[in-house]
Amino acid sequence: MKKLLTVLLAVLMVMALAGCNSNKPEPAPAPTEETTAAEGSVLNIWTWNTEFWEFLGEYYADEIVDEYTLKKGDVTIKRTTYPSDGGAYQDALDAALLNQANAAADEKVDLFLAEADYIIKYTNSDATMDVKSIGVTDFSNTYKYTVEAASDANGVVKGVSFQCCPSAIIYRRSIAKDVLGTDDPAEVQAAIDSWEKFDAVAAQAKEKGYYMINTTNATFRIYSNNTTSPWVKDGKLNIDAAIEAWMDQSANYAENGYTAYTSNLWGDEATSEMFATGKTMCFVGPAWYFNFCMGNAQDAEKGCFGDWAICQGPQAHFWGGTWMLAATGTDNPTMVADIMNTFINNEEVCSKLVSEKMQFSNNQKVNNKFAADASYGNAFLGGQNDTAVFAELAKNIKFQNVTAYDQLCNEGLQTYFQQYLDGEVDRDTAINNFKDYIRTTYPSVTVE
Amino acid sequence: MAKQNTAVKNKSISYARWGYIFIIPFFIVYAIFTLYPQILTVYNSFFEYYRDGLTVVGPRFVGLQNYKTLFEPGAAGYVPIFKYLGNTVWLWLLGAVPQFLIAMMLALFFTSTRLNIKGQQFFKSVIYMPNLIMASCFAMLFFSLFSQVGPVNQFLVSSGAISTPINFLGMQVTVQTLIALMNFLMWFGNTTILLMAGIQGIDESMFESARLDGSTSTQVFFNITMPLLMPIFIYVFITSMIGGIQMFDVPQVLTNGKGIPNNTSTTLIMYLNQFLGISKNYGMAGAVSVLLFIVTAILSIFVFRTIRADNK
Repeated sequence: MKKLLTVLLAVLMVMALAGCNSNKPEPAPAPTEETTAAEGSVLNIWTWNTEFWEFLGEYYADEIVDEYTLKKGDVTIKRTTYPSDGGAYQDALDAALLNQANAAADEKVDLFLAEADYIIKYTNSDATMDVKSIGVTDFSNTYKYTVEAASDANGVVKGVSFQCCPSAIIYRRSIAKDVLGTDDPAEVQAAIDSWEKFDAVAAQAKEKGYYMINTTNATFRIYSNNTTSPWVKDGKLNIDAAIEAWMDQSANYAENGYTAYTSNLWGDEATSEMFATGKTMCFVGPAWYFNFCMGNAQDAEKGCFGDWAICQGPQAHFWGGTWMLAATGTDNPTMVADIMNTFINNEEVCSKLVSEKMQFSNNQKVNNKFAADASYGNAFLGGQNDTAVFAELAKNIKFQNVTAYDQLCNEGLQTYFQQYLDGEVDRDTAINNFKDYIRTTYPSVTVE
Repeated sequence: MAKQNTAVKNKSISYARWGYIFIIPFFIVYAIFTLYPQILTVYNSFFEYYRDGLTVVGPRFVGLQNYKTLFEPGAAGYVPIFKYLGNTVWLWLLGAVPQFLIAMMLALFFTSTRLNIKGQQFFKSVIYMPNLIMASCFAMLFFSLFSQVGPVNQFLVSSGAISTPINFLGMQVTVQTLIALMNFLMWFGNTTILLMAGIQGIDESMFESARLDGSTSTQVFFNITMPLLMPIFIYVFITSMIGGIQMFDVPQVLTNGKGIPNNTSTTLIMYLNQFLGISKNYGMAGAVSVLLFIVTAILSIFVFRTIRADNK
């Protein structure tokens, strides 16, 4: 019995050792005669959600094999996904990119997605490559800021975005009618076109038993996108006046009950306000917000599809956006370039993104066509032509004051400041806790 | 005769050799996956070694600088590691005290020949169940249950017990209570089973003779059960304490890694994890690990000694 046990244990340990080996790249299969193209048979895409992946499956691939695999010709497209929250995606991606040179051809990152909050970290590194060198050269129809955002300090373009992300106030028509007496976008816009007016409407909404915003974090991006200085300036953590203004507004809204919650924008609390039973008048976000993140509002039973409309709101801003970057060392450069070109220059695909997916595409020609089309309307927004609104807003987008540290600074400040809004700590403590968080997270950033 | 003895002796030596051969795999695995990383951790703690974006900074030898940094007060005015050590011990105690009390009680009930509880196997399985769930899943479950729009608040509001939802995951008292509750639920079954094994190992005749002599249950517990259970009890206590110092997954998931509110539920390992996040700060993380190792070692020796001394 004991011998048996010993043998069993030994076998288990050997298996454990073997298990550790399985992460190592297996030798790439020798290219067969059929795949004569010098390019790899597997294209690896890294993402933090499934938004782009779904478009890729629908408009680019020949076949959707399963949730993580697509087929295009002879090439298998594989998805690797990590959640964005807390920097988990960046973390895993960094490790993969640093190991890129050692990875087997089929394991190499070929194309990865990045957000505005940290894209600069990748564009300013050797991990990404000049997309013009692989055949993405026509940027005549894309929005200028999307190209600037994907360029390094010397102006070399490293990727493209499939969307343009001017952000708007997304309001409930029925609640706006009750509070303001109108749900017409132009009239609602006139009522909230400055922060003073926005606050005044918030007070009106409260009197009627509504909330102005679903969570104090909803307006964060409007402020943070209108800063005059970056989060990290000369190596030091810097809290801009616009961020201070957001903190003031949040304190005011939490104290007066103008906000439904103070919690995380993506949490169950904040999103529950999107149901028909919700009491919130305004949400904030670009096209991807209402098409990808407002599932509760689109819910067939509990939602309120069609009871929405958009307008610019108090300050022009953009929010997020997903860029595709070409990873240095990719063994599928032709297909990488083909995917990029498809999503910025293929008018048929871009048109479908707008008409079928409620996207605001990164092709001005296509967007302008929809904007000018009087018969086009978005059913979710009660027939409003959202593309026309966004086309106007897109003119005001400035890509400025960005650093590689933005994601965790943005997330961290909101989390730590919420504790003040919830009455658990005083305001200084909340900010100091945030500073300590940054000090621990980024050794290269000086915190005073 | 003498010859035969030698033969027996030789035989036993060869058995011993086989013994060593059989345990070699363990030591190889231990050396590669535990000892080597441990040494590397100590080594790294003397270096500046992290990532800034995709640039690797260091490794550059900085002596004791990492340890010095660790003891500097932060912007909030306290030395983070002291506060987190306090949190860790407090959170462990909150869960461990009820855990030991309940587990001891259950172990006594289950092993009592006088009570002779039916269906023991069933109850043992049931109380052990929570331990089979991954701690992170358990925490995620509680996160959903206790959110402001979660079932617990829905129930409390609809039953009229409260008028507005309670922010369970935003207040110090409730967050710490939930963490303690989860740790308690996950571990009391395990402790019960270990203590039961210990009690069952005590000679039944001791209890019988005590009863014949007219001892009360209290007397039996303090004069027979506890002293004879001590070795097992010390083992369970120390493993629980070491587990407690390494507390991570439950508070990490429940507070999304931020130790909400005001870092009152940030544990030492969560602090360590912050260093190992996006900047992979092996230097500072190494320093935290080394301190943690020292603290664990001291506590273990201290507890071991005191309980042993009391026992004598």
